[in-house]
Amino acid sequence: MPAAASHWERAILLVDMNAFFASIEQRDRPEWRGRPVAITNGLQGTCIITCSYEARAFGIRTGMRLKEARERCPELIQCPADPKRYAATSSAIMDALQAVSPDLEVFSVDEAFLDITRCQRLGTPEQIARQARGAVFAASGLLCSIGLSGDKTTAKYAAKLVKPNGFTVIPPWEARRRLAPVPVTELCGIAAGIGGFLAQHGVHTCGDMARLPISVLARRFGNPGRRIWYMCQGEDPDPVHINVPPPKSIGHGKVMPPDTRDREVILTYLLHMSEKVGARLRRHDMVASRFLVALRTRDGWLGDKPHSAQPMADGRLIMTLCREVLRHHWRGEGVHQVQVTALDPQPVPRQGDLFAAPVAEPKRNAVMDDINRRFGEFTLAPARLLGRSSMPNVIAPAWKPHGHRQSV
Amino acid sequence: MKFQIQRETLLKPLQQVIGVVERRQTLPVLGNVLVNASATGLELTATDLEVELQARVGLEVEEPGEITIPARKLFDICRTLPEGVNMSISLKDDRILVQGGRSRFTLATLPASEFPLVEPMAGSRQFAVAQRDFRELIERTHFSMAQQDVRYYLNGLMLELNPDSVRAVATDGHRLALSDMVASVDGAEGQQVIVPRKGIQELVRLLDDSDVQAQVEIGSNHIRVSTPELRFTSKLIDGRFPDYQRVVPKGGDKRVLADRESLRQALTRTSILSNEKYRGIRLNLDPDVLRIQAHNPEQEQADEELEVEYQGAALEIGFNVTYLLDALAALRTGQVELILSDSNSSCLIQEPGTTRCQYVVMPMRL
Repeated sequence: MPAAASHWERAILLVDMNAFFASIEQRDRPEWRGRPVAITNGLQGTCIITCSYEARAFGIRTGMRLKEARERCPELIQCPADPKRYAATSSAIMDALQAVSPDLEVFSVDEAFLDITRCQRLGTPEQIARQARGAVFAASGLLCSIGLSGDKTTAKYAAKLVKPNGFTVIPPWEARRRLAPVPVTELCGIAAGIGGFLAQHGVHTCGDMARLPISVLARRFGNPGRRIWYMCQGEDPDPVHINVPPPKSIGHGKVMPPDTRDREVILTYLLHMSEKVGARLRRHDMVASRFLVALRTRDGWLGDKPHSAQPMADGRLIMTLCREVLRHHWRGEGVHQVQVTALDPQPVPRQGDLFAAPVAEPKRNAVMDDINRRFGEFTLAPARLLGRSSMPNVIAPAWKPHGHRQSV
Repeated sequence: MKFQIQRETLLKPLQQVIGVVERRQTLPVLGNVLVNASATGLELTATDLEVELQARVGLEVEEPGEITIPARKLFDICRTLPEGVNMSISLKDDRILVQGGRSRFTLATLPASEFPLVEPMAGSRQFAVAQRDFRELIERTHFSMAQQDVRYYLNGLMLELNPDSVRAVATDGHRLALSDMVASVDGAEGQQVIVPRKGIQELVRLLDDSDVQAQVEIGSNHIRVSTPELRFTSKLIDGRFPDYQRVVPKGGDKRVLADRESLRQALTRTSILSNEKYRGIRLNLDPDVLRIQAHNPEQEQADEELEVEYQGAALEIGFNVTYLLDALAALRTGQVELILSDSNSSCLIQEPGTTRCQYVVMPMRL
């Protein structure tokens, strides 16, 4: 392939926001610019969710305890996370990218793949990638790192090379050569497990992969294995997934004050989670009939997977399942976390039933959903939740601006 | 115990009973087949504690006896021996010796006393029916049974005993199949029993298309079907079947008459582009014409148009196409009758002019 080829067979770019949450805080508080900022979950949170590049210079990393971070950098600014603002910024960025190319895969709250193959009549891939970077800045006032290549894996690898505010292009015909010396575990999707398997077969760098027959990976890992073989040679076949696949489960969990033994407090937490799961199922026109209700104690998780008589999405009915589980499985142990998950979420069934009239969703749910959509979550809620934990919501890494993952 | 038997003579009864031997069983003896050699011949019995199957062959036995032998191993040995070979089976201490041609196998056994046999039937009602008729009754209805529904009483076929007929009803809550068979049954009218799905599947495999009579006995907990060669016994599901009469529509005012085969073919073609999971299709009825439409998440679309006899008002209604196709496949006549009322009410499918077989399908919201 000539190095000057202007038309790429595939052109995929990864946009990765730099220290996303911290950058938003620095954008909105000019006095924090150029200073080490760490985001924590509320002021009670002790674990660093992310931090600014200035903080990273002190060796502070995501997941570090605040206490340890302060030892490294006493002037560190602690900032409670504000998931709603981050979600709004993320949505604005994704909308702006969607305007560059409709073939957008929102990979996480601060990352997106953009397939710009079909945009090449408007400019070279590099020009369009610069346009995307401009669009992100215009929409958010934030900097991002961009990796541009002919497949997702190489684009993601490229974006990692220069941070912050990077712009790295690896043309598809150079991808194989550029990846060759890179350890396989550097690639997105190859963790210790697969890495260990590959090392056993003498594959340490991506370049080693060509010598391993594809069938070895296919036998052990199936199609994902075949994908890994191609990935390492700069030919990741995975397309940019435009649609968010339907969820395999919808759940919420919460950490409680340690060693909670008060039945009423546990019930309040379970109700809180039940109502959240119910509201989220309803928001996406889904119902479920199998649930997980679990309590974490010092000795591990206890709980059960109760079934409801019919698929449903009502917090109050989910709560009756929770009560059952609590009655049968809890013997007064100290609890420090609760989890309620709908295990088989499915679209509201459209098939009529001969014996059961369709269960009308209680009217109060529709009213509650309407009010809470306008005035915020739990504006209208069961009275018991008035005394619920004040711990703020946490934004999940898998957050998406649209679809069922939009759950702050 | 000792007897000689030709491979084919042993293979057939083994094939008949092997279906109930589960591959992974909790009780080791359930993996075994009970072999009973007596003056009247050979009896092979297998069970999964829900369904018990016994096959019989006439045979001269050298030494009578009773023992249980690993079922799949015996079946596989028998299956893979050369055709027509003469087998010799004998018990030595607690091992069974199987010889055929120049092959010898020694298999472990468990005592016959450990094998859980169904107790004799008590308080039973009986009737006799040609195997072909009984098989037809099941074939026309069994596809509508539920699979692993929480309403456990739907996971089987309901038999309703009347003095001069037996009615079979199966439903999974979305559709219902009903069929009648002439039979003279002693006892009162309207007794209902539910035979579990597993039993029905075995039974339909075992009954043949002949005029040979099957003797049916129904007790309080079991059903037993006996033919000259076989005895099938199944537990009954202890539950109340829903009031099926209530859901067979009575007052549908929209009557469509269609050629069964043309309708079946049109639906089959349309179904190719219906959503693979939900299988929804749309029917549009207008005087003398039925339009069928399907599309899938890839935005591909199928349209069919079919001439039918219909004089009512226009109607648009959605269905799971599989339910319609199952019903059409179970009917036998050249023409079929569809009776509808509105897009939220069920559809009745039957042979014109008779209610011997009826199929009720609930619509799908589109």
